[in-house]
Amino acid sequence: MLEINDLHVKLAQEDKPIIKGLSLAVPKGEVHAIMGPNGSGKSTLAYVLAGRDGYEVTSGEVLWNGDNVLDMEPEERAAAGVFLAFQYPMEIPGVAGLTFLRTATNALRKARGDKELTTPEFLRLVKEKGAELNIDIEMLKRPVNVGFSGGEKKRSEILQMALLEPTMCVLDETDSGLDIDALRVVSEGVNALRSPERSMLMITHYQRLLNYIVPDKVHVLAFGRIQKSGGKELALELEQSGYAEYTDAAA
Amino acid sequence: MTTNVEIMKTKAEKAFAEHFASVSGSLPSDAVALDARQAAMSRFDELGLPHRRIESWKYTDLRNALTVDVPAVGDATAVSAADLDAALGPLAGLDTYRAVFVNGRLDEGLSTLPSMTGVEIGSSSGAPAMDDALAAESIVALNTAFVTGGLAIKIADGVAVDKPLMIVSARAGGSDLLVTTRHDVSVGTKASLTLIEAFASIGGTAGQSNALVTITIADGGRLDHTKVGATVAISDLATWRAHLGNEATYRAFQLIPGAPLARNQVFVTFDGEGSALDFATAAMGNGKDHIDSTIVVDHRAVGCTSRELFKGVLDDSARGVCQGKVIVQQIAQKTDGKQMAQALMLSEDCEFDSKPELEIYADDVVCGHGSTSAEVDPDLVFYCRSRGIPEAEAKVLLTESFVAETIDHVSSESLRDALSEIARNWLAANHTK
Repeated sequence: MLEINDLHVKLAQEDKPIIKGLSLAVPKGEVHAIMGPNGSGKSTLAYVLAGRDGYEVTSGEVLWNGDNVLDMEPEERAAAGVFLAFQYPMEIPGVAGLTFLRTATNALRKARGDKELTTPEFLRLVKEKGAELNIDIEMLKRPVNVGFSGGEKKRSEILQMALLEPTMCVLDETDSGLDIDALRVVSEGVNALRSPERSMLMITHYQRLLNYIVPDKVHVLAFGRIQKSGGKELALELEQSGYAEYTDAAA
Repeated sequence: MTTNVEIMKTKAEKAFAEHFASVSGSLPSDAVALDARQAAMSRFDELGLPHRRIESWKYTDLRNALTVDVPAVGDATAVSAADLDAALGPLAGLDTYRAVFVNGRLDEGLSTLPSMTGVEIGSSSGAPAMDDALAAESIVALNTAFVTGGLAIKIADGVAVDKPLMIVSARAGGSDLLVTTRHDVSVGTKASLTLIEAFASIGGTAGQSNALVTITIADGGRLDHTKVGATVAISDLATWRAHLGNEATYRAFQLIPGAPLARNQVFVTFDGEGSALDFATAAMGNGKDHIDSTIVVDHRAVGCTSRELFKGVLDDSARGVCQGKVIVQQIAQKTDGKQMAQALMLSEDCEFDSKPELEIYADDVVCGHGSTSAEVDPDLVFYCRSRGIPEAEAKVLLTESFVAETIDHVSSESLRDALSEIARNWLAANHTK
């Protein structure tokens, strides 16, 4: 279970607060969506959960299965099961996709006390998981994400998620930059990973993604805090009314 | 009024002269006869050690750097095959011919030389064929004065040597040694050879190395030439001198995994038309390492292509030097020359000196150069860490990828794998921040 209690965050270099008293709970096995207008703090929340530098938590706590996530290094969070699917997955010139995936998979297995995979075992696993996402092994011989289309980058993120077996997935604008076919493939990949052991937090601007990955709950984030929570129908409401009541004009 | 100015000799210059006087009689005369050694020593006496007021040695002042006594000239020393393989590390597993020099002397028992028709391997002898480039270098004079051994390799026209030849220069015995070798390589018309020079140390033996390789590649010939520096702390002075005929290919690569003092100088002259040089080097330094890579490419014929790629990984207060000079003579129209120097700066105190020089006398040429220095991208480090890769390992992975681009220039896959492993081992052992 993910519990965020009265979280306050600002940029490390500036005094302006971005997240101002956010509280949220995602029980084990549930998929929650966070929707909100641009600038509401959605991506900041994603980065703070993953432990990126440049943000300062001024108060509040984030607990994952009772442990304080904010005290952990990014790699310790990954070992504890936290995974962020990036809005803009990074390109790593010179590092082959397979090398990157094997290094990460085995680093996590080691940290979690599992036996590291041999190269044949790993390759079998990648082929199997990659096939479900239309990812060919040849594509993974190229440097990580270099020269990939938007859709290929997102599929590659989901493949990482499948291999690294996280229990708390944060998906940051996973639908951005995807055409309808790519969106379907990515969504099917995510849906295949839904399980009673795995919680997910989907951050999105548009309702569209939620037609494919149906959430258990929807939260509206604006002005740095959750303004409203409800069932999946809340997303449809937002699609009708827009974010007008959650923007500065309405405030 | 005239005044006789006597230039003060430095301690190291005097030490070389004294050392030569005491050992010259016992140096092998079949390598270089005593009078030729003495002639070389008097040339050294005129030139002195290079210093910062000599432009090509601007960043590597040997007068200051070499202040210690000259180490003793090494003697033949017995080395076990197992110890040698251990010292060679990942290179030991390669399927190659081997010529093994221990302390600068050929050890036939450890060597497996090719016995194919058209491959002639003997000993280098006499003073090297001199030209202006070599004559100006006092470390070349020292090489001739102190050389104890080396190969003369002749590949006959049309012969493609079936396996790489690895020349191992090992040092053994424990105490500091001066190891001086010279190899003369001649690749015939449409012949080809892969040559690996591996420097290794057994029992932590350090000291100074002075290695000279002269190379001629005849029309349509090809030489793939790789140097792997020693992983122990030696002063590594090395000179490659190559002349290329028509349509010849020279692919040269150097990996320097740390050195308190390294100067690798490469002189390449295009004598014939339509030839190609691809030179890549990766230098990795930490502590107070000083690694200088200097190349002078002289385009003297039409339509030749030269590519140089330098990459330096610098930590602590290490200093990387990259000098690339490209001369395009008036006759050398349609020259295509490109040069890139890049440094990954891992600390606040490291230093990278990059000096490209272009001297172009022809009017229809394409020549370019670039230089960058940067730190490891913190965003990429975070991306790796978010996938569970610990910070130190992430930095090694990203640094290795920076070096990998140079190793990709090596044609043989098994050699590339061995080089990558050497680079990775060095980074994992030395780059711990």
